[in-house]
Amino acid sequence: MNVTLNNDGGKTLVVLDGRLDTTNVEQFQNDIAPLMEGEKPDIEIDCTNMTYTSSQGLRMFLMLQKSVSSRGGHLVMKNMSPQVREVFDITGFSHIITIL
Amino acid sequence: MASAKSIDRLSPQSLMILDDYHRYHEDYSILKGIVTDTLEKCCKDNAIVVTAISARTKTESSLVEKLERKGYKYSSIFDITDIVGARIVLFYTDEVDKISAFVERIFDVDWDNSVDKRKLMRNDSFGYMSLHYICRIPETLYKNPEHPSVNRIRFEIQMRTTLQHAWASINHDLGYKPGVGIPSSYNRALFRIAGMLELVDEEFSRIRHEITNYRRKVEDLVSDGDFDKVELNMDTFRSYIAINPFASLNDRISCINQAEIMPVSPLFFLEPLEWLGFKTLGDVEKMRKEYSEAAYQLALHQLSGTDLDIISSNLSLQNLCLCYIADHENPLNLMAEFLRLINFASSSTEEKAEHIYENILSLPCMIQKNKTNKDQ
Repeated sequence: MNVTLNNDGGKTLVVLDGRLDTTNVEQFQNDIAPLMEGEKPDIEIDCTNMTYTSSQGLRMFLMLQKSVSSRGGHLVMKNMSPQVREVFDITGFSHIITIL
Repeated sequence: MASAKSIDRLSPQSLMILDDYHRYHEDYSILKGIVTDTLEKCCKDNAIVVTAISARTKTESSLVEKLERKGYKYSSIFDITDIVGARIVLFYTDEVDKISAFVERIFDVDWDNSVDKRKLMRNDSFGYMSLHYICRIPETLYKNPEHPSVNRIRFEIQMRTTLQHAWASINHDLGYKPGVGIPSSYNRALFRIAGMLELVDEEFSRIRHEITNYRRKVEDLVSDGDFDKVELNMDTFRSYIAINPFASLNDRISCINQAEIMPVSPLFFLEPLEWLGFKTLGDVEKMRKEYSEAAYQLALHQLSGTDLDIISSNLSLQNLCLCYIADHENPLNLMAEFLRLINFASSSTEEKAEHIYENILSLPCMIQKNKTNKDQ
């Protein structure tokens, strides 16, 4: 999983590329650590090239959402493939995160 | 800063008081901090919602102005009771009474100089309504040999409602002390507003009291299981959730993959449930009883081939709604709309609705249900 973080004005754009699973979830956690800091973060995650997420990946996104909400920020995930989207839908988390 | 000219006009006695004011400045600052912190803690500990708690030390120019007007009344700085003043503004009149009871317990109240302006008001008049207590800090609350005067200095605490505060603030902004020196043509208009605000304050307290009673009644009906008698709304849904109606279904679903259940507030589902036409908690409860098996089988169908070992505590409610919709008229349109409501929407919402609908129809319990319905 490749993670690219870019700042665009006040917004942080995150681009995910590849599979997110047990083998790389720890690295992913390190990669997104900067997103866990700062007041009122505005984060947009582009999932166009994310091919899969496991439960551990799902936990990471939920943890990020919780952290962003507690700091009065906003998190959006967009361009999910139907397979990735399905993971959020069938576990009942679609209404927790803004998915476009 | 007071002007030198104003200070020059003060009597020798008042000048001595002004000197003392500067000498005790640090004590005023300590006192202000203790009063504010104590009041804030008291409100927090006793769940009293406040609009604002503030405290100030009288400025030098304000003190000089006071000494110019009535310096003859004071023989020492300790005779002036409002050099440090605190104010608590609360939403409800009964909360003003409540905080005053705490103030009486926490501080030493100087009853001879404290005023309840609310009780002073004649039956046929309206105006400034506020509770003013003159207090001292008891040694049980603060004692420091380096600052013994902190316990000697009297200070004022004003307690009032938000509306009383608004009325007094606007009077102040207009340049008058409440009821003093106002041109008679405006006097009646301002006091008419005071009367109206008093009525509004009472109404807010009454409505709050009735809502509290309503919530208590709802809790009783829910705990007794009288769901059909309870209208579905935010309060009643909260009470319903408090009895964990979906816990056993969630537990059952979590066993599919030995999943962790992440707690999420079901209040999000109130709007979709109302949209589905549910009028009472009885309607929700009926859905829960009738479609629990289908909701479980849908989760089994969706999760069993995966390694997903975390689910939302709302998954049971989500699946209950989906199965309920699949078993009612016009299911495809209804389901697509429902998916949009619960953020399942994407470019292919209709396709997704169709897919879920077909999955639900193929569940063993739904096949059995439809067969029984046909046979009848």
